[in-house]
Amino acid sequence: MEQIINPYILYGLCVLGAAGVCLALPRKGLSPQLFGGLLAGAVGGLAILFLGLKNPEHLPNIYFYIFSVVALGGALRVITHPRPVYAALYFVLTVIASAGLFLILSAEFMAFALVIVYAGAILITYLFVIMLATQSPQEDEVEVLMEYDIAAREPFASTVVGFLLLAVLTTMMFKGVGELPAPQVKDPDAILAAMPRRIESTLREEGLMPKGSTLKVDAQTGDAVVDWKHRTVTTIDGGGAPTVVSLPDDLKATNADHLGFNLLRDHPGTIEIAGVILLMAMLGAVVLSRKQVQIDEEAKMRQAHTLSGASFGPDSGTSKGGSL
Amino acid sequence: MIQVLQTLAQSGFPDRMHAATLSHFLLVSALMFVIGLIGFLTRRNLIIMFLCTELMFQAAGIALVAFGRYHLDFSGQTFVIFVLTVAAAEAAMALALVVLLFRRRESLNAEEWKELRG
Amino acid sequence: MTTLTNILHAALTGSIGQHGEVAHAAAGAAPVQIAANGPWYAVLIPVFAIAAFLLCALCAAFKVKSKLPAWITVACLAASCGVSASVYAWVSSHGPAITYVFDWIHVVWGKDKGQSFVANFAFYLDTLTCLWMLFVTGLATLIALYASEYMSHDVGQGYNRFFAAFSLFVFSMACLVMADNFILLYLGWEGVGLCSYLLIGYFYKKPSAVAAAKKAFIVNRIGDLFLALGIMLCFVHFGTVEYKAVFAGVEEYIKHFEAGEFNKIPPVAQWIAYLLMGGAFGKSAQLPLYVWLPDAMEGPTPVSALIHAATMVTAGVFLIARTYPIFMISQYALHSVAWVGALTALLAATIGMAQFDIKRIMAYSTVSQLGYMFAGLGVMTSVGAAAHVFTHAFFKAMLFLSCGAVMHGFAGQLDLRKLSGVGSMPGWRIVGIAMLVGCLNLAGFPIITAGFWSKDAILGGAFANPHAQSIGWILLLTAGLTAYYTFRVYFRVFVGPQHFEPGDELHAHDDHGHDHAHAGHDHGHDGGHQSHSHDKAAASHDFHPHAPGWAINTVLAILAISAFVVILPLKLIPGELGWVGQMVEGSTARAVGHMEHAKFFGFDAHQAMMVVSSVVGLAGIAVAFVLHYAGRTSAATSRADALLPAFGPLANWAQHKWYVDEFYDFLIRKPLLVLAHLFHIIDQYLVDGLVDAAGYLPRAIGRLLRPSQSGELHGYALGMAGGVAALLLIVFLATTSW
Repeated sequence: MEQIINPYILYGLCVLGAAGVCLALPRKGLSPQLFGGLLAGAVGGLAILFLGLKNPEHLPNIYFYIFSVVALGGALRVITHPRPVYAALYFVLTVIASAGLFLILSAEFMAFALVIVYAGAILITYLFVIMLATQSPQEDEVEVLMEYDIAAREPFASTVVGFLLLAVLTTMMFKGVGELPAPQVKDPDAILAAMPRRIESTLREEGLMPKGSTLKVDAQTGDAVVDWKHRTVTTIDGGGAPTVVSLPDDLKATNADHLGFNLLRDHPGTIEIAGVILLMAMLGAVVLSRKQVQIDEEAKMRQAHTLSGASFGPDSGTSKGGSL
Repeated sequence: MIQVLQTLAQSGFPDRMHAATLSHFLLVSALMFVIGLIGFLTRRNLIIMFLCTELMFQAAGIALVAFGRYHLDFSGQTFVIFVLTVAAAEAAMALALVVLLFRRRESLNAEEWKELRG
Repeated sequence: MTTLTNILHAALTGSIGQHGEVAHAAAGAAPVQIAANGPWYAVLIPVFAIAAFLLCALCAAFKVKSKLPAWITVACLAASCGVSASVYAWVSSHGPAITYVFDWIHVVWGKDKGQSFVANFAFYLDTLTCLWMLFVTGLATLIALYASEYMSHDVGQGYNRFFAAFSLFVFSMACLVMADNFILLYLGWEGVGLCSYLLIGYFYKKPSAVAAAKKAFIVNRIGDLFLALGIMLCFVHFGTVEYKAVFAGVEEYIKHFEAGEFNKIPPVAQWIAYLLMGGAFGKSAQLPLYVWLPDAMEGPTPVSALIHAATMVTAGVFLIARTYPIFMISQYALHSVAWVGALTALLAATIGMAQFDIKRIMAYSTVSQLGYMFAGLGVMTSVGAAAHVFTHAFFKAMLFLSCGAVMHGFAGQLDLRKLSGVGSMPGWRIVGIAMLVGCLNLAGFPIITAGFWSKDAILGGAFANPHAQSIGWILLLTAGLTAYYTFRVYFRVFVGPQHFEPGDELHAHDDHGHDHAHAGHDHGHDGGHQSHSHDKAAASHDFHPHAPGWAINTVLAILAISAFVVILPLKLIPGELGWVGQMVEGSTARAVGHMEHAKFFGFDAHQAMMVVSSVVGLAGIAVAFVLHYAGRTSAATSRADALLPAFGPLANWAQHKWYVDEFYDFLIRKPLLVLAHLFHIIDQYLVDGLVDAAGYLPRAIGRLLRPSQSGELHGYALGMAGGVAALLLIVFLATTSW
């Protein structure tokens, strides 16, 4: 299968992008950061454009360009902004743009989950830590950037390594994508059969269900008996006589349906493990970040008194403390 | 708003995603990953370095969802859920560690910690 | 093991059976019946010596700071001497015997002859043993007494060390002489070598003493190597190392020797003698290996007297005398011994004539006289050789002790140009007389000296032997030279105008504190303390020689008297050289065979020699008198100096010892040194280089890689990312079809 992009164009773009990123990285003194950033961004855009040149009919829609440019620009800004708070905020931007890309990939649930978990929870934690772990400036003092934030470390070597990786990665990716098997055509609504009650309730709401009858269910699997070709289901009335009912058009399996089935039906053990990981992480975070507070003997004694009640006098506490 | 989102959701490739289009997402994913990697390699601030790892997670997530979309397999998205889980756990632990380290040296500079020097 | 030994046997002896047969057949025909159980108290001789050694070692351990070790040594050695005398009494009435003490080495791997290796700690007691033990222990006792005073400036650790080594020497000498087998002899042989090394290097802070000790040790090693090889060959051929069995084996060949049929004696048996001879030459300072003995005079004088004049250096003579049958069955061994001995005698005498250090002259005279003894053995007059050993032991010890007294008194001065008229100084009369007696003996003054008789026996034996006429002439010439250089010393140092310059060494014992230097002296003299000042100018200005004390004088007197007394057993008892002759004839050293006596210009050789050697000796003395006494007014010069130009370079060469040391240096030491440097370089750069490279390579790699282990997170991350990129690149390149 032919290459999706001419490899020489790809490598040239990699070199240019590397130069741009290298320039865009923060360094001491005057630096052509803006120029580098623009160069890198232009290269990224060009790369995405070049992808469509061979098959213009497969060009993604305009939203893809908007979201990817925002995401990549935000990412570039994350690594080039000297102030950690801004970097974190740019990361939020990247996360939101990624969520947009997820929407384009019709992964709505993941898009919202990403915004909620990443932008809403994780990044807020980051912001808290950034606040915690920064020396607060004096009131009349202008906030000074940390020396280690201003200058990037070994920008050239890192960029070379990074874009070498990129070149190899993309070359292999584009080569491999061309050899991918054609995707199987599946009916996305097929999993609805596993949700007979949803079908039943929808039919009832729509008024398509005959009175006094129920949906016919497979005795072994518990699934509804659906004829997907004609989009019909079989219902059974009180006497056991079957009636064929056609399904409404708006009865579709949502992204969340698919995800839920995949998660809970196909990977039930994994989700348990994920829970354990989270618990461990919580305990670990508590243990690690707990501050060792030095309590002097007097305070300890006072606390002991408070805990043991008023039966001991202020002096007897010291002498009889051991009997507690 | 809902209209826009619905348009977005439908504007992709509802039934089938072409390999060439998959490449677009993979390219974005690769670029984001490499940007995160370069950030990790060049920035000295421990927090930003962790942000960069999150960037790389993000890139991996995009690639996973894109592949899942291509194959119409939702395991890709499920995997992104686990990536999110691990990212959250990692963030909790890592940030706790960062706080701990910051208390020790009053600095977030990763180069302050060289005890592994051979 | 057995097979290997058998193969060795077969290879070296021709056949196992024949050899075993020979040994068996000979056992019955031993000429001297040897009793199996000698007197038990013979063991006391070495036991007393080793006890003295242990007690001295204890003294050293307890840091005794008195003359206790000297008295212990004297007492123990005197006891040894007494035991020796009683053993002699036993042997003279019962005949030779073996005293078994304990199983020392006992290895058996078969029932046949030669399939066992037995070396008992046992003593072979015959008259030869008794002769040697008597004068060894007797002289050792006297010299220990002498040393008690001589070493008094060293009371303390040095004193303990000295007497410990001294006692150990006597023990080793006893093992050597009394041994019942070659292995015990070898133990004693190495033991005396060790003690010699220890005592030459006694002043171990003096570089020349250390060098001399090393030289003695190394040169002796060469000889000892030959001895060891000889013993091995003896075992290989005779299947035993015990004298009794070896001599029984030799007896078979004696018949061939008497018949003059040397071709019937296996060459292997003949080779034993050559190898043993090498050992004897090393220990007794004969021609190729004599160079260590003059240097050995760096040791304290009592050591020079006992070890390097009287006893240890005669071990070679003893070895040949003890194994005389083995030498007789070897066609050329005794001729070699005679020639080496005669040439050594002449060479050492010529060197001795040109030296100025009196102790060194005595050392060369020792080498020369040892050459005499070897020549005596070589010309088949073992009796004369043994007698000369016996008499020489007394008068040479006396000469050394006299020299030592001078050295002791004049702060290390030994140069005969700086001393004169010592014998006539107050308190030095006994030393002067002892010296005169010693010199007369050494020079072979007719009739009244023992030295004359023993030397005469050798000379007579040489001329009487039809094959050794030229050796006789060499020895006769040597006798004249000996008389000259001996009296050169006497006339220069002991008579004539009184003059002295103190030596610069002032006892040469800088390593041992001077604070007690005179503490042990029991003879008073004023101003003596100043002589021990480090200030040389002051020392030479205010120097007063201290005359020897009672111990030295007593010993010298005893020795001077005994030098005359030993004539009595030599001449009053009938037979050739009387008592000594009987002693030797009754032992293994007996010369067998009938040899027609050669005539000396028509006269009987022995009788002619009495006259001729008297004349030669007196002539030598007379020349010395004219050149070194008559008309001499100062210590430094004499008439002889005027004659030196007449000899041209010869005198200078003789003074430089014929450049033998330099020759050895050039021939052996320098090439070895070059070789050693070469090996050192190879070792340093090639061997060490390889070893170092083995260590350096990982280190270099480590140094190369160390920067990557910077401990910085970024470095590792960069490495990881680069690694992933490289890995992907490799996978990509490998999977792409070009």
